[in-house]
Amino acid sequence: MDFLSKIGRMFIKFLSSIGSVTLFSVSSVSSGIVPPYYWKQIAKQSIQIGYFSLPVVGMTAIFTGMALTLQCYAGFSEFTAETAIPSVVMIAMTRELGPVLTALMVAGRLGASMTAEIGTMKVTEQIDALMTLSVNSYKYLVFPRLLVSIVLMPFLVFIYDIIGILGGYVVGVYYLDFNPTNYIHNTLSSMSNWDVVSGLIKGAVFGFIICLMGCYHGYRSNGGAEGVGRATTNSVVSSSILILLLDCILTFVLF
Amino acid sequence: MKYVIEVENLTKSFGGRDVLQNVTLNIRRGESYVVIGGSGSGKSVLVKCILGLLKPESGIVKINGQNTSKLSQKAMFQTLLKCGVLYQGGALFDSLNVIDNISFGLIYGYGKSQKEAYGIALEKLNAVDLDEKVAKIFPAELSGGMKKRVALARAIATNPDIIFFDEPTTGLDPITTGIIDELIVKCTKEMGISALSITHDISSLRRISDIVGLLYNGSIIWEGKNEELDTTDNPYIRQFLAGSPVGPFTQ
Repeated sequence: MDFLSKIGRMFIKFLSSIGSVTLFSVSSVSSGIVPPYYWKQIAKQSIQIGYFSLPVVGMTAIFTGMALTLQCYAGFSEFTAETAIPSVVMIAMTRELGPVLTALMVAGRLGASMTAEIGTMKVTEQIDALMTLSVNSYKYLVFPRLLVSIVLMPFLVFIYDIIGILGGYVVGVYYLDFNPTNYIHNTLSSMSNWDVVSGLIKGAVFGFIICLMGCYHGYRSNGGAEGVGRATTNSVVSSSILILLLDCILTFVLF
Repeated sequence: MKYVIEVENLTKSFGGRDVLQNVTLNIRRGESYVVIGGSGSGKSVLVKCILGLLKPESGIVKINGQNTSKLSQKAMFQTLLKCGVLYQGGALFDSLNVIDNISFGLIYGYGKSQKEAYGIALEKLNAVDLDEKVAKIFPAELSGGMKKRVALARAIATNPDIIFFDEPTTGLDPITTGIIDELIVKCTKEMGISALSITHDISSLRRISDIVGLLYNGSIIWEGKNEELDTTDNPYIRQFLAGSPVGPFTQ
């Protein structure tokens, strides 16, 4: 009986967490529908989320593109199917690796920083101060981040796609001695708009998840520095798991 | 309207434990009401319930005659525009410098232009005896006393009717405490602002209070004028003022 009641309690806790996240996301999204809009906050978050994420996304992309080309070569050369490498790299980058790895990198970099910043504001009563200065904290803190994450994540995924494919090209042409014209031709001929667009859609969804988890765990943090640290870990873990889960679901839906 | 703040039978629980039980208190215009009580007695919770930051289980809170539980969020924000709050740690926004902190409520709450808000903010900086040179400094670079002064400047920037002080002198040396107390008295008496303060500091209590309420076990068990502090024979007040480890608080 003890075991069953434990399972029951865990299930109720799980449902309560889902309800709590849903209410948080509804409050955050609805807060941004009517004016005033905090343009300064939106501009600040755009620089933080878009511009400062470029180096880490770029580096991840080029190394993955290079490694993937080498791995494909090792396998495909056994079946003399080397000509398929450019298209496989392109499809892997645009459909799967671009959105997922960009999202995981951004979750580690930005999700954690959002939680830490909002969590610190929560435990030092800065969020209460916002409310008592007649400013809706969801509108000021969460909505600009959500908006910017949804809009700029597809942009980051697009950059990842380009750099990743370029990394594959560099290894293919300069290390594996592929013909440059053929490599480019094989990449472009097998590329469809949907390959790229579906990756960008995934990027927008992942952007929403990263920001939602980052802000939600920040708002829920308590108990000083230790609480903020715990919230930051929870934020990165939950957004990473949700990214992988949603990637699987979206792949079924989009292809 | 006789009272600026009316609290009737306010009850708030956390995890089944009643932190506040049927608390009733009223604050007149221009009056400085100070709540004292042991750590964990619910003083901060009381202030948060009055400000609408926590939702009480039952009871009525009226600010300037308006029942806050019946207000929409927009109307509540309008009501809060007439309130200033000085938080225990200052609660200054880390990412903003001093002048942006002070002008925040003026710009985002009142919709004033940045130029106008900065003008008022500099005026309030002078009012709390701070030089204009600190205007561009960030909170992390300020001392504890300066943080409290900046937070006080932010609290009075919007010319509120009521100010809430949550342990305004905690962690400060006796001289800075005296200066902050003086500023609080200046704000309340010269500007005619009503105040609800929470403090543990007996010297502050004597300096800033008109009326004192003792919160114990979630209820106001004693209320009286400042002058009555020394004449009352209430054992709780006597123990609290004496700081004695022996008495009804510890029995």
